[in-house]
Amino acid sequence: MSSVLVVDDNQDLAENIAEILGLRGFATTIAASAEEALPKALPEGPALLVTDFRLPGINGAELVRQVRQSRRDVRAIVISAYTDDRTIAAARDAGADFLPKPVDFGALSRILDAA
Amino acid sequence: MHVAMQNLSFFENIKLYVGFTDASSAALRELHPIALPFFQPIVDDFYAAIEDHPGASQAITGGQAQIARLKQTLVRWMDKMLLGPHDEEYYELRARIGRMHVRIALPQQYMFTAMDRIRVRLLDVVRTQIADDSGKVERIATAVNQILDLELAIMLETYREDLEAKHRNNERLATIGQFAASIGHELRNPLGVVESSLYLLRQHLKAEAEAPSVKKHLDRIGSEVVRANKTIHDLLDLARNRPPQKRSTSLHQLVESAAEAALLPAAVTLHVSVPADLTLLIDPDQIRQVLANLFTNAAQALKGRGQIWVEAEPIPGGGARLRVRDDGPGISAEDRGRVFEALFTTKAKGSGLGLALCRRIIEAHGGTIEIEPRSDGASFLIAFAGGEPA
Repeated sequence: MSSVLVVDDNQDLAENIAEILGLRGFATTIAASAEEALPKALPEGPALLVTDFRLPGINGAELVRQVRQSRRDVRAIVISAYTDDRTIAAARDAGADFLPKPVDFGALSRILDAA
Repeated sequence: MHVAMQNLSFFENIKLYVGFTDASSAALRELHPIALPFFQPIVDDFYAAIEDHPGASQAITGGQAQIARLKQTLVRWMDKMLLGPHDEEYYELRARIGRMHVRIALPQQYMFTAMDRIRVRLLDVVRTQIADDSGKVERIATAVNQILDLELAIMLETYREDLEAKHRNNERLATIGQFAASIGHELRNPLGVVESSLYLLRQHLKAEAEAPSVKKHLDRIGSEVVRANKTIHDLLDLARNRPPQKRSTSLHQLVESAAEAALLPAAVTLHVSVPADLTLLIDPDQIRQVLANLFTNAAQALKGRGQIWVEAEPIPGGGARLRVRDDGPGISAEDRGRVFEALFTTKAKGSGLGLALCRRIIEAHGGTIEIEPRSDGASFLIAFAGGEPA
C-alpha cells in the first residue's frame, strides 16, 4: 500500500484530503507545517507528499525541495489558492506537480494514478 | 453672483458665460432658412477633411456607409443647432453626441478643429448671404460663435465626465482587487473543506445519498459551493487583470465552446450565425469567458426559456463585430449606463462582476462593448478593432 503525507495548516482540509486519499487505498499521515512534516518525511517516509504552498514558516515548495534533496523518488503535489505564475513556477522548480485550490479530486487521482 | 451660479445647471451656466440669450436663439432661427441650402456642402467639406486626414479618419471604421449616415446626422445636428430650442433637452441631446465621440475614441484635438471648420463655413455663409443692414450680420455672427462655443463646452464637459466615470470604475476595480486577493484566497480554504466534506459525505452515505430528501440538500450544498467558487474566481480574475495572450482564433469554434461552458438550459435555444472562416487575433480563454458570461446572463434573464442569437461579421479593413442578443425582458434605459460598473447588479443573486470583467477584457483587447438600445430583449454589441492580422 502506498503512503502519503498531507501538509496543510487548515487541519480540517488536511484531514479531508487524507480521508479521501485513504478511501483510495493510501496510508495517510498529516502535518500542519513544513517543520512538522520534515521529521515525518526524512530520512524515511511516505512515497507521496501533498502540501499546501502557503504554510506558517517554510513554504510548501521549499518543503518539497528539502525532502527531494535526500529522497529523489518522492512524488510531490503542491496545492494552493494562489495560482499566480510565481507560485506555480516555485512548485515546478522544486520538482512537484501543481494543483489549484479548491482541489479537483479527479485531477488529484489522475496524478496519483500516474505515479 | 457666485451663489446664484451654484444653482444654475451646467448649460445655463455656460450660456451665461458666453452671453447666449433668447435673442441669440432668435438670431440663429433667422439664419436657418438662409443657411439651409449650404448644409450639404458644409457637411461634404467636413467629412472630406476627415477622410483626407489619417488621424481623424481612424475614428471611422464603417467605411462609406458610415460616412453617409454620419453626414445625415450632421445635417440634423446643424438643423437643431440653428432652430433650437436651446433648452436642457438640447443639452442632453448634445451630451449624448459628446459621449459617442468618447466611445469612438475621437482624439480631443479633432473636436476643436472640427468645430472650427463648421464655424468658418457658417460665418462665411452669414457674411456672403446676409445684407449688412444695421448690424444684422454682426448680431447673427455673434450668435453663431456663441452656440459653437457652447457646443464645444458641452463636448469637453461630457468628455471629462466620461473619463472621470472610467477612472472611478478603475479605482473601484483596484480596490476590489486588493480585497479580492486577500478575502478570495481566504475563502477558498473553508470552501475546500465544505467541498471535500461533501464528497466524503456522499461516499459514506452511499445509496442513502441518492434518497431524494438527502440528495436535494447535498446537491444544494454542491451547487452553492460551485457558485461561491465562481464568484471568487471572477474576483481574482478582476484583481489579476492579466493582459490578453492573443492568438489566431476561430470565432465560430469559440462561440460553441463558450455555449458549452455556459451550461444553457434545454429550453434556451442558441442561434449561431458566425462565418466559419472568421478568425480573430484574441485571447481565446478570455473571450470565451466574456461570451459564456453573456450567455449565462441571457439565460438567466430568459428564466430558462427563450432564444439567444449570436451574430458576427467581419469589419471591412480588419476586426469584427459580434452581437449577442436575446428575447428576454431587456435592460432598462436607466440601467444601461451602469451594468458594466463593478458591483452593479440587477440580479437577486448577482455579484456585479460578470459584465465589469467582460468590459475589462474587451477593452484590454482594444475593443468596445456596448448595449444597443432596443425594445425587444437585450443586445450586446462587441467590436474588435482591426489593424492586426488574425
